[in-house]
Amino acid sequence: MRVEPAVDVDRLQRELESIFGARRVSLRSVDLDTYARDMWPRLLIAYRDGIAPAHRPHAVVWPEHVREILAVVRVARDLGLPIIPYGGGSGVCGGAVPIYGGITIDTKRMQQVRSVRSDELVCDVEAGLNGERFERELARRGYTFGHFPSSIYCSTVGGWLATRAAGQLSTKYGKVEDRVAGLTVVTGRGEVIETDGPNRALRGPNWTQLILGSEGTLGIITSARLRVSPAPQLRVFRGFEVDDVQSGVEAIRRVLQKGLRPAVVRLYDELDTLMNSLSGEHEEHKLDTRAPTPPIETGALPAMPPAPRPKEEGFVDRLLALAKGKGLRGSAMKAALGNSELVNKLFGTVAEKIARRGCRLIIGLEGARIRTEVEAALTFAELESAGARDKGEDPGWEWLKHRYHVSYRMSPVFRDGAFVDTMEVASSWERLQDLYHSVRTAIGHHALVMAHFSHAYADGCSIYFTFAGHAPDAASASRLYDAIWRDGLEAATRVGATISHHHGVGLLKAPYMVGEHREAMAIFEAAKASLDPHNIFNPGKMGLRGRS
Amino acid sequence: MKLAEELATAVGADHVEPVPELTEPPCYRVTPGSAAEVAEVIHRAGALGAAVHPIGAGGRPSRVDRDPKGERSRVFVSTSRLDQVLQLDEQSLLVHAQAGLTGLDLERILSPRGLSIGDYPPVVLTSSLGGILAVRTPGKSSARHGFFEDAVVGVSAVLADGRTVHTRVAPRRSTGPDLARALCGSEGTIGFITSAVLRIHPKPEARLVAAYLLPSLDAAVSAVLFALREEAAPAGLRIYDAAETARHFDGLALPAQHALLCAATAGPTDLAACDRDLLTSAVNAEGGSVTDNALADLWWRRLHAGEPTPAPTPNVQIMATPSKLRPVYHAVVAEATRLAAEVRIHISRFDADGAVLFISLERDGGAADDTTTAAIERAAEQAGAWLLGARAIKLDAYLRALRDHIDPNRIMNPGTLA
Repeated sequence: MRVEPAVDVDRLQRELESIFGARRVSLRSVDLDTYARDMWPRLLIAYRDGIAPAHRPHAVVWPEHVREILAVVRVARDLGLPIIPYGGGSGVCGGAVPIYGGITIDTKRMQQVRSVRSDELVCDVEAGLNGERFERELARRGYTFGHFPSSIYCSTVGGWLATRAAGQLSTKYGKVEDRVAGLTVVTGRGEVIETDGPNRALRGPNWTQLILGSEGTLGIITSARLRVSPAPQLRVFRGFEVDDVQSGVEAIRRVLQKGLRPAVVRLYDELDTLMNSLSGEHEEHKLDTRAPTPPIETGALPAMPPAPRPKEEGFVDRLLALAKGKGLRGSAMKAALGNSELVNKLFGTVAEKIARRGCRLIIGLEGARIRTEVEAALTFAELESAGARDKGEDPGWEWLKHRYHVSYRMSPVFRDGAFVDTMEVASSWERLQDLYHSVRTAIGHHALVMAHFSHAYADGCSIYFTFAGHAPDAASASRLYDAIWRDGLEAATRVGATISHHHGVGLLKAPYMVGEHREAMAIFEAAKASLDPHNIFNPGKMGLRGRS
Repeated sequence: MKLAEELATAVGADHVEPVPELTEPPCYRVTPGSAAEVAEVIHRAGALGAAVHPIGAGGRPSRVDRDPKGERSRVFVSTSRLDQVLQLDEQSLLVHAQAGLTGLDLERILSPRGLSIGDYPPVVLTSSLGGILAVRTPGKSSARHGFFEDAVVGVSAVLADGRTVHTRVAPRRSTGPDLARALCGSEGTIGFITSAVLRIHPKPEARLVAAYLLPSLDAAVSAVLFALREEAAPAGLRIYDAAETARHFDGLALPAQHALLCAATAGPTDLAACDRDLLTSAVNAEGGSVTDNALADLWWRRLHAGEPTPAPTPNVQIMATPSKLRPVYHAVVAEATRLAAEVRIHISRFDADGAVLFISLERDGGAADDTTTAAIERAAEQAGAWLLGARAIKLDAYLRALRDHIDPNRIMNPGTLA
């Protein structure tokens, strides 16, 4: 455990209150506990078992203006404290954990949509704005940012930019980094900089691309100029079935390389398909109703239904709930988590047999009416010529309806002593089958694993592995958890894939950054030395140096 | 002499030659045959305190302003022998090509395989890939594929200390900054780009061209922007004002104030036709109509089949965002009229940022003088245009600090971006 610097707490409080007043500064224990973690499952395991957080910030502040952030940087530098930028707290890699204490800056009070330029198709937006509110503001004006992560209700624009997030419709709209025309950033030198103009007329390196994805290690993004699209006039969703993963992957590749841009393509492997189809054959599980429903045109935030009283079900049943189905016997699940390697194999075979029809593929297109119609016809024809069987619109719309639910299914599993997490890796098409098999095998030694392919590009695709494991106590659960990630990411690196497509690095993947970037880390380190020479911003993350 | 020997050791004596104009201190031009030799050159030159300047297809260092430490020897490193395709992944539509290959060279290699680098402006593709990537200017883009740098999946580059970096190839990633794209635009100051992995495309199944007559330049711009908003993704677009039309099309006289729009669409046949129809509808909505297709054919042949374009080449290029295209055009024309200069303008290179205005100025029957050109640029800038080649001054200190860290002796293209 790292030793946190001795801090004159009274002075810290005095100086921060002189900037923010008493109301927007907190040194209260309950706040420091809250800001000690994000949604990294490894921390949730500890949290569940009542283990106090290893690292807490010294203070939390809620700025409303850039000038207040500039003042915080001065205070941090004077007192030798780090700064940890904090958006929605929905990160799953520990990127917001204050491993050296310091001042956590919660950006959520900076949430203005400053302008939406219909003639330029850009908008200026502050970093702390909640994702769903942002999209709703744009929808009201007839636009969309096209970024729909399953965390949209609990993540911020700044968090997306800091991690290079991806939304579910990324195949059309791109990942968040593809939609940025410029950033406003407070750097570790205590200055405000703007990257890029609205164009490429300026010479020099691409500072926008250098800061996107830096997870608060180079500075804090305070606002951004983002590209928007007209709200879609037409949406078309369909389900298909393919014989197996390989033929599904091939079908998707053909669509994308034809120059077609569906908004979403998702291919589920046999087990994921089975879990999906089971949910379809049963009434909707109660836990599903906990997820907020996309708003109707009321302008109000969607109502969060009250938590259903948990039924007296065991862990296995809840895990099943996670996987959306009730069709498997509890004993099978227990076995799955007790001897995952064997049962992954068994499950694969059983799943293939039960889901004899093959793997499920969901595809959706949206956009301007005429072009979407033409692209949809070409896309469906291409899929069918690749051997996919059309299952009609229902599976597609069903997916759309439930697309945010997954993030709300985790807590019951944790309550029952198990854990669940996701690993999103990506590679070129050429390496994709290797990537699928090697990571699946690597995780399968330790946990139940299933996968779907989403976020497709003309040159490659991402694979989203979901795994669930179980151990008798927190210490062994953490060991198991670490082993899964180690083996999974090493397998990904071995086949030449990237270790993260859109969740980021944080603490979780920091040890693998050298394997990912090798000598190119020197450029990241040079950027750090330039933008944050005193190592104030989020030190010790992403494989960059910590504080002595 | 020591430097010459070291360079000869790195690349072989046949590939080192002194630069006759620069003898005090002696400067050399070297032509490495591999990325490893580039690394050797940089390592050895750096050890002797010499500066390293990359040279692309142009045969001269790009934008070397001056060496702040002028007493140093300089080594001009040509990429002309780095002209190989290292790997072609037809399954993923990726090519790993060395930096000295020009875009057109690469296109010639891809073409027999039914592949293409994509519908970028051919004049951009006359540069070496290293040059295209190292220098950021607007217009290196395609309404169909996006910005050229979006095609970059990875780069290999040599740093000041001779280390070679290879950024990992993945369609997208979330593992920190995009280090490959940070190198793009750095003009050889952060690293010497030796090769790049680029996204490529299948040759389009269909390619259609069309020409339209519009009642004004404003109407032509509006029609294009409207079609782009309807998600048309044309392979090429160009708007000519009436004066430019007359020059480019053998004196063709448009009705007063009218404009000519030439467009090409490409892709699967249905999609190419869809995009053409979207443009036609937009043109009709703006009061325009389809005109002689031979005009568009000629435009396309000039771009892609080497047919000569009427001289002289435009003497001012400026960039404007979508909403500024029309005001900038009118400001330029008004200023030229005030100065009694003849002005002809075409607008092309449409992308998400806007488009580029190519302005040809003549005065008293000859090329416009610098004062006239400067006045036109000023008028354009006041109307909201961006002049090409400016730097973000506020970020200079950050670039300096970045270079201090990665290149403390300032050997990588010193004087550039400084």
